[in-house]
Amino acid sequence: MTPIQMTFSTMFLLGLMGLTFHRTHLLSALLCLESMMLSLFLATSLWALQLSTINIATVPMLLLAFSACEASSGLALLVATARTHGSDHMQNLNLLQC
Amino acid sequence: MPSLHIILTTSFIITLVILISPVFTSILYKSLNPIWHTHHIKTAVKMAFFTSLLPLFLHVHTGTELTITNLHWMNIMTFDINTSIKLDHLSITFVPIALYVTWAILEFASWYMKSDPNINQFFKFLLIFLIAMVTLVTANNMFQLFIGWEGVGIMSFLLIGWWWARADANTAALQAVLYNRVGDVGLIFALGWMATNLNSWEMQQMFITAKSLDMNAPVIGLILAATGKSAQFGLHPWLPSAMEGPTPVSALLHSSTMVVAGIFLLVRLMPLMQDNPFALTTCLILGALTTLFTTICALTQNDIKKIIAFSTSSQLGLMMVTIGLNQPYLAFLHICTHAFFKAMLFLCSRVIIHALKNEQDIRKMGGLHYLIPTTTSCLTIGSLALMGTPFLAGFFSKDAIIEALNNSYLNAWALALTLLATSLTAAYSLRMIFFVYMNFPRFPALSPINENIKSITNPLKRLAWGTILAGLLMTCAVLPPKPPMLSMPPYIKLTALVITILGLTIALELALFTNKQRPYMPKQYFYFSTMLGYYPTIMHRFFPYTFLKLSQTIASMTIDQTSLEKTGPKTITSLNLSLATTTSNIQKGMNKTFLSLFFTTLMIIILLNYY
Repeated sequence: MTPIQMTFSTMFLLGLMGLTFHRTHLLSALLCLESMMLSLFLATSLWALQLSTINIATVPMLLLAFSACEASSGLALLVATARTHGSDHMQNLNLLQC
Repeated sequence: MPSLHIILTTSFIITLVILISPVFTSILYKSLNPIWHTHHIKTAVKMAFFTSLLPLFLHVHTGTELTITNLHWMNIMTFDINTSIKLDHLSITFVPIALYVTWAILEFASWYMKSDPNINQFFKFLLIFLIAMVTLVTANNMFQLFIGWEGVGIMSFLLIGWWWARADANTAALQAVLYNRVGDVGLIFALGWMATNLNSWEMQQMFITAKSLDMNAPVIGLILAATGKSAQFGLHPWLPSAMEGPTPVSALLHSSTMVVAGIFLLVRLMPLMQDNPFALTTCLILGALTTLFTTICALTQNDIKKIIAFSTSSQLGLMMVTIGLNQPYLAFLHICTHAFFKAMLFLCSRVIIHALKNEQDIRKMGGLHYLIPTTTSCLTIGSLALMGTPFLAGFFSKDAIIEALNNSYLNAWALALTLLATSLTAAYSLRMIFFVYMNFPRFPALSPINENIKSITNPLKRLAWGTILAGLLMTCAVLPPKPPMLSMPPYIKLTALVITILGLTIALELALFTNKQRPYMPKQYFYFSTMLGYYPTIMHRFFPYTFLKLSQTIASMTIDQTSLEKTGPKTITSLNLSLATTTSNIQKGMNKTFLSLFFTTLMIIILLNYY
């Protein structure tokens, strides 16, 4: 595989591992989610550029728009967690009963 | 005579330039005299009138008709729109008459509106209205006609609401615009149909290509447009309400020029309609209904301006009947002669109202014949012309219409209604004359009765000359295109005269009852007439209330409650809340374990795929 492909694949894998094997804070999980989105953006842009397919050219923009929405909803959840649990420590989130 | 068409073209273009120039000089030139502009505009209209007489005389002498196509304005694929002026018999005859009447009205208005601070703007509005009307009349294609049509509609709105601080005037102007708009829908529909089916908006092409098509749809649109603009039954209440405007506005717009625009449209596009019996029957019935209904309403009105307004409406119905009889030339003749005497009636009524310190109720007038003889003589001449007195202007058109009506094989009910309306015309005219200037005065003694002003008597005298001579001149000058029925039994020939005299005598008898004790008479018919047939009461209250209530129901119940609360955001909220509560009771919440398991499973599956 080409160096570029290895780069964004590794970036995706590292982000996934950072999301799943985190330590304490919810914020770091969200940051890793964002890096996964970024790597996907890179991947689809390079796909459109290197293989010269016009059809795929709009996908990076759509992906960006949706990832912005999702990031904002993630931040809203973060704020809600901070409000109810006092911090964003992941181990407190088993106290989910509303 | 060589180069005849150049003389005609040039003189008409000069007429238009004389008319349009004051609009520009008002922007570019300021003078010390605050009302310089009114004299400027009046002189411009006078000069334009005399210049437009030259095409008229040329046309009468040689029968020249021509079309001037000026510039290619735009095109959409194969559809061209040009600016072209059609100078045929209709427009060459109508433009001098409109200019003559406007000249008289402007001279009158320079006295009447002298104390108005915005008099320059008033005259400018009247001039712009006149330009729009000339555009409408001389249009050779439907686009230009539509421009003139909308122009007269807008100027009518601005001029009726001239005293805009008065609530009645604002509602009347709004009524005029709304009712005209309903008619405009018909015109726009007809325009669109013609654009798509006949490929052109030029009248010549329309007339040729329409021979083989079924023209029911656009013709109904045109009749709807005429109903709106010319106040036929169904869209008529705006015309009596339009009397809220100043009298020059009523005299110019709502008697001579604007309201005949609808009839003029039908006369101009008559070749589309004359083979269509459905359209002709619609015109006939609509016109007959209009003329009788508005005549009944005019019988019991007490406001002198409203009587004249209803009289205009009934004459418009008569013109519509003429179109239904397939006699466009007679309708046009009636348009021209009607312009003279109706404008004169309005100006006379304004002098009378002003003389009695703005008293418009005819029950408080009387005995004016000795006090303002010129005005009342002109009122008499105008009313006699309206009734169709032999050899005044109204006779040549109205009697010809009644004769054509009696000799036709069409709907007898419509014809009977028109005859009844003719006799009632005489009745309300007599009522107006009787209350205004016969018997003894019923107004307070200290009234500023003065008609010794040149600006009043000269226009009235000019219009009176026009009323007396116009019918004769027009009939002698041009042969009618359709041969009239020339031989009929004497009782048919004298029908118009007999029923008019009958109406006059009955009305005189009834009017003389006013100071004698009379037996009890049923009130229902009186209420019908006074309340204008209950038409405004029903249409202006019931329908708006229904629509507003329906829209409130839709807006608040349907949109707010249904889509916001029951099916929209609030439902989502409540649904999600119940789901989340249930789910959170089951969940243990071991996030880290869940996420690690997710990663491990993902890796296992990916690696399994490779082996």
